[in-house]
Amino acid sequence: MTVTGIGARELATPAAPAGPEPVRRRRLLPAVLRNPWGRPRFLVLTTWVYIAWALLPVGIAMLFSFNSGRSRSVWQGFSLRWWWTDPSFSVFHDPDYTHALVHSLELAALDMLIATPLGVLLALGLARWRGRGSGAANGLMLVPLVTPEIVMAVSLLVVFTQLAIVPFALIHLGTGAQVVGQVTFSLSYVVVIVRSRLASIGPEYEEAARDLGATPIAALRLVLLPLLLPAILASMLIVFALSIDDFVVTQYMSSNASTTTIPMFLYANARGGTTTPALNALATILVVTTLIGIGVAYLIYTALGRRASTGEVSALRDLSGLETA
Amino acid sequence: MASGEVILRGLTKRFDDQLAVDGIDATINGGEFFSLLGPSGCGKTTTLRMIAGFERPTAGEIVLDGVDVASVPPHERNVHTVFQNYALFPHLNVFDNVAFGLRRRKLAKDEVRRRVQEALALVELHGLANRTPRQLSGGQQQRVALARALVLRPAVLLLDEPLGALDAKIRKQLRVELKALQEEVGITFIFVTHDQEEALSMSDRVAVMNAGRVEQVGSPPEVYEDPATVFVADFLGVSNLMEAEAVGSGRGECMVRVGEFVLRAGCGDTAACGAVKIVARPERLELLSHEDQRENRLPGMVERTVYVGASRQVIVRLPTGAAIQASVTNTGDAEMYRQGKPVSVYVPAGALRVLASGPAGERSDPAVPASEHAEPSGVRS
Repeated sequence: MTVTGIGARELATPAAPAGPEPVRRRRLLPAVLRNPWGRPRFLVLTTWVYIAWALLPVGIAMLFSFNSGRSRSVWQGFSLRWWWTDPSFSVFHDPDYTHALVHSLELAALDMLIATPLGVLLALGLARWRGRGSGAANGLMLVPLVTPEIVMAVSLLVVFTQLAIVPFALIHLGTGAQVVGQVTFSLSYVVVIVRSRLASIGPEYEEAARDLGATPIAALRLVLLPLLLPAILASMLIVFALSIDDFVVTQYMSSNASTTTIPMFLYANARGGTTTPALNALATILVVTTLIGIGVAYLIYTALGRRASTGEVSALRDLSGLETA
Repeated sequence: MASGEVILRGLTKRFDDQLAVDGIDATINGGEFFSLLGPSGCGKTTTLRMIAGFERPTAGEIVLDGVDVASVPPHERNVHTVFQNYALFPHLNVFDNVAFGLRRRKLAKDEVRRRVQEALALVELHGLANRTPRQLSGGQQQRVALARALVLRPAVLLLDEPLGALDAKIRKQLRVELKALQEEVGITFIFVTHDQEEALSMSDRVAVMNAGRVEQVGSPPEVYEDPATVFVADFLGVSNLMEAEAVGSGRGECMVRVGEFVLRAGCGDTAACGAVKIVARPERLELLSHEDQRENRLPGMVERTVYVGASRQVIVRLPTGAAIQASVTNTGDAEMYRQGKPVSVYVPAGALRVLASGPAGERSDPAVPASEHAEPSGVRS
């Protein structure tokens, strides 16, 4: 037995307990990096920390809408006082709150009903437009998506208030201008969603319909629209969510207290000392409606998209009411 | 009753700077199974799309039963299409897919039901009316697409590579069925394909297309055995295309020199003189032992033998440097075709075709085969 031989082997073997302290320190990080099949604990931890950081303040704000006291920072017990039970100061009873709620929903509904059909038509037009200018139009259609909202808002304010020519002069600040402003920026989203669906559908179904004797309108109604339905419903809900939580454009296009929306109300009252947890309840409503809008849009887009392609039509037909007969 | 005769006159389609279809003339007789065969990008699909009405011709006429329909929108043409990927409406079941066209014609409900059942029976799909397209196999989808078009009793049925998406076995089976179906319904079929075997096995006549032009129109044996141009010879199967020199002719035969060997050629452009191309199909060649003294032989050496089951493809390298391929029936004797073995390739004079050299496009004259079949196009309806 030669001592040197064993010593050499021990040095080569990772498990060798040759000076425990320095070895462990040297190995900790490389071991993590050397084994790509292990659980990426550090990355998972970072992710959860961020999620908590981002969501906790919102969660706390939502929680305080159920506070039984007036405070928005000291927990005094659970109650539905600020949601419903307080007959004059709860979010569904105080006229200032209910008015903001109703006006927000009004704007969202109008935006949805105007931007969606317009966006579908634009998407169809862009898909059919070949040749000079179509490429540029496709690119420019994305510009509203990346324009800083404040720039769009200020520009719209200037043209609506300063330009005395039709059509700008016809639009006055207030609900009308708010709808026009919201439609202006939400249209692009509809176009992007519907276009991508159109591209995946391809021209063949429409050509097949035309080939079988359908007029262009009939082909659109009986074939293209049913196939586009998931995209149309999804974009409606996205527009709804965009409208509900828009602040900048809606604020600039507003006229007076009667055109206050939820985000505007929150902005105006958040720092005030007199506000109650009812404000938190209002914020909660905003968060929940937005989340529901986007969540349902996602579900419709994926589920109906899949159904349409696997051919399980009944749900799609029920939703559309587009019976072929 | 429409006869389903289609006459194409100077049909041209230009996309921006690209000439996709370059003045096609052809007459497709009523009730004929007519194939447009060519490599991808040859303009065959564009031609079909113009007949269907999806593309508007840049110039020329599409005369359907005596009426020029070049500018009639697709939904008003009595011409229906089976698409490459079938384009069955995914949101409708089989019945509603087949009924789609009938309902556009505002037929009574009973009539629609009766004709859909008839059409589904014709393609042997009774009982599947309530399935959705995605619940069907590729072959079944293809039949639905056929039923959907045939139920409208078109004058002409257009088929755009309808077998392309299917696997080999179903494709072969459907080839037979499709031809049988066409004979049963008696409708003009215009079939687009790049698969020569498909075109040859089903068609009454084939138009071989290249670079937007028709190179040759003829029955399958005509285009395969009497190719009019180098392109047609080369595109349809293995042609063993070789450079040669015509050194004399007479009595319908022609002597051609390949390297130092002179062969007798019995068909094609036997009056040609000077540089020519010669072609001979592999299955018409015979491999003889090196010592054989028969005429019309080319000596060579077996370079490679490809075993394909029923036959062997033997590639023989000639002293000129060219390779020639012979197809030999599998008799179980492999020794003769061993790599490196010296052999003689016997080329029967009747199998050796002379094609005058020159660009394929110049040689072809699409007007000739077209006018051959052109009849006085009075209005027949």
